[in-house]
Amino acid sequence: MKNKHILHLYNRIGFGILPKEVEKLHSQTRSEIVDTLFQSAKTITPLYIETSFLNSTSTKKIKNKSKRKELMKLNRKKVRELNLIWMGRLMNSKEILREKMTLFWANHFVCEDKNVLYALHYNNTLRNHALGNFGDFVKAISKEAAMLKYLNNKQNKKNSPNENFARELLELFTLGQGNYSEKDIRESARAFTGYNHRFDGDFILKRKQHDNGKKEFLDRVGNFDGNDIIDIILQQKQCARFICHKIYAYFVNDKINSSRIEEMTSIFYKDYNIEKLMKHVLKSDWFYDEENIGVKIKSPIELLATIHKTVPYTFQKSKQQILIQKLLGQVLLYPPNVAGWKTGKGWIDSNTMVTRLRLASVLLNNAEISYSEKDDFKAIVNSVTNEKRRKKAFIKTETNWHIFNKNYESISNEELFESLIICPITSGTKEIINQYKDLPKKDFCIQLMSLPEYQLC
Amino acid sequence: MKRRNFIKRTSLASGGLFFVPQFLKAFENGLPERTNYKKLVIIQLKGGNDGLNTIVPFRNDIYYQNRQRIGIQKSELLNLNSELGFHKSLLPLKRLFDNGYVSIINNVGYPNPNRSHFRSTDIWQTASDSNQYLQSGWVGRFLDETNAKPYGAIEVDESLSLMLKGNNQNGLAITNPKLFHRILNQPFFDNVFNKYSNDSHLSEHNLGYLYNTMIDAKSSAAYIYEKTKTSSSTIEYPKNAFGKQLKTISEFISSGIDTQIYYAGLTGFDTHANQTNRQSRLLKVYAESIEVFVKDLEKNNQFKDTIILTFSEFGRRVKQNGSNGTDHGTANNVFVIGKDLKKNGIYNSLPNLNDLDDNGDLKFSIDFREVYATLLDKWLGIENDKILNKKFSHLGFI
Repeated sequence: MKNKHILHLYNRIGFGILPKEVEKLHSQTRSEIVDTLFQSAKTITPLYIETSFLNSTSTKKIKNKSKRKELMKLNRKKVRELNLIWMGRLMNSKEILREKMTLFWANHFVCEDKNVLYALHYNNTLRNHALGNFGDFVKAISKEAAMLKYLNNKQNKKNSPNENFARELLELFTLGQGNYSEKDIRESARAFTGYNHRFDGDFILKRKQHDNGKKEFLDRVGNFDGNDIIDIILQQKQCARFICHKIYAYFVNDKINSSRIEEMTSIFYKDYNIEKLMKHVLKSDWFYDEENIGVKIKSPIELLATIHKTVPYTFQKSKQQILIQKLLGQVLLYPPNVAGWKTGKGWIDSNTMVTRLRLASVLLNNAEISYSEKDDFKAIVNSVTNEKRRKKAFIKTETNWHIFNKNYESISNEELFESLIICPITSGTKEIINQYKDLPKKDFCIQLMSLPEYQLC
Repeated sequence: MKRRNFIKRTSLASGGLFFVPQFLKAFENGLPERTNYKKLVIIQLKGGNDGLNTIVPFRNDIYYQNRQRIGIQKSELLNLNSELGFHKSLLPLKRLFDNGYVSIINNVGYPNPNRSHFRSTDIWQTASDSNQYLQSGWVGRFLDETNAKPYGAIEVDESLSLMLKGNNQNGLAITNPKLFHRILNQPFFDNVFNKYSNDSHLSEHNLGYLYNTMIDAKSSAAYIYEKTKTSSSTIEYPKNAFGKQLKTISEFISSGIDTQIYYAGLTGFDTHANQTNRQSRLLKVYAESIEVFVKDLEKNNQFKDTIILTFSEFGRRVKQNGSNGTDHGTANNVFVIGKDLKKNGIYNSLPNLNDLDDNGDLKFSIDFREVYATLLDKWLGIENDKILNKKFSHLGFI
């Protein structure tokens, strides 16, 4: 397989690849390489975070106000810690395809929870089903404590239905706007009544709150429950199409090619097997077409992870990891709303763009950055001298140039360029690279990472 | 006078700029032919300000029954009429009010209110229904619709809020034009961007978009820096972060930059416990800074073209909680400050405390998008349905 295509593949299903790994794969065929990827994604390693502080609590105890406050505080801290654990996983996993899929699904089945136990369980459910059957996936999501809370499905009761989950299930998770009626929302909401969870997060159906009556949904009539509704949705080809559209935009190109979508849809609709669909995409010739290479804008998380792939770094203060995510516009586990992050060009405005281009200097060269904590609703700021709100900071990282030197010692600056930047470059950029090509490799690397071209993958 | 003549004349008259730099020329030629140069300054009291303790119905028994410990007595208030009084921290605002510069719109909200700070802020910023999730803000869509440059709307902060993000154009977050300019003026960036030729085939690709965003940012930073470097406010503002934000906005406005909408915020209003002192302090910061801001605008002859809109993502529950604070509620009052208001004073009656929803919260009577619609149609001169996605009716404050 061509080096450039190996690079492209790994940009999309992971966060780039080291030159020596490319070398190893070079003699293999596309099919072999893709099969190996799926092979190593077979193992599922759940994220883990210590949650024993919740063991001794019960529903009764959290009725006590000060106890509840203390728990909330601990939970908030733990969710931030979980962000770092997840980030660490993305940067260091062997099951890279599964992890990339998990990240993709997290911006599809968008959810947020302040309870670390539920947030962790939700994240692992995304990971478990990432390459499995889509139908099972949706059903599992509908029963997650975090989702039952986030879209108010646990308040959805026979005598006072709450339509929030049903609406987003149809609009954002399965069919897309315009493919169902308001009546379909009302009727399907009735099928999910009584869904709830126990304190430990396990799903329960509260039978007394469940509406057992007849429902009319997408031209079908019956005494449907939540799972039935999901099965009826899956029978709509539109559901397969909607998901394929999203997968294409994320893994291939945000400029949509509808004949490719139809090709993918006909495969996916047969059995909703995500692995089969992804294999088809990654093995197809068109995935490697020039028009699909180097045209996607890296998400903030992809950007952070690709830099890390080349030059491993760690934050001295873990809080600063989250701060950087915030400035770039994507904090893991804290999506803006149930529609998720607006991707592609949506990542870019003047401010995030400036931060992006300075990111390599900030992370690897201790450049200064200023920030504010604008969403702290409790913070009080009364004076400029003691200004808590707006701060300047040097991001303190430890950068492992030793590993960088080891990984890149045998390659030239030109080759370093080819391994980091995959999109066609402008003639001006070519000139600049020529101008800098005799710089020490480390400095040259930082310059490359500061180019607009490095924002693409 | 046409805008572009104005720029030329003032830049010559001020003596600061004897020649118009190249990038400014480019801007002048690209200036959209909009004749409306009214300014809108949007202030968010973040965290959910307690509206009922801001404008107090001192004749209402229900108010005092629900707020036995945090209710404010008539003697403590600045009376506006026979029923209503301002919180005493609002004395500077009261002076503006007495001059006829303030219109208080009561009980503003939206159907099916959401009580999460983040979600409700999103709703206010995107002007969506409460069950609708938009990924662009209403000010961002205003930029889209008017073909504005990024500096068409400025948030005085380090990062950009959803409110200023459009589908095609985003506003600019900026606290310090000098710093922003300096960052973008690093030799490396210069090198990269000077060599970038605006190939037409590139501009439709993502790479072209990145370059153009950067070039826009760079020229915006240079434009703002050049225009504002000589204008510094001589009036003293309160020494706090909010005062500083307003000072920056005032300098931007008097420099004559082509920015129509500004956004700033004052945080800390999430008063679940021991509300009284905290709210007093915050309202004082708010009112003192606003009064200076208005004076500054007046001095520079800009007040007649500026409207200041103050909102909070929600109000608070009528009944106080067990810790001398209040929990998240729904409808709230909105302040409109301007020189020639059509209807100043108390715009409409206070919410009915006899008729609360199941949570014990107020039922709104004016949709916040009617406030936006009024400002869009009558102040910014653009049909509101283009920005708000459906048509909303007007209020009569301007």
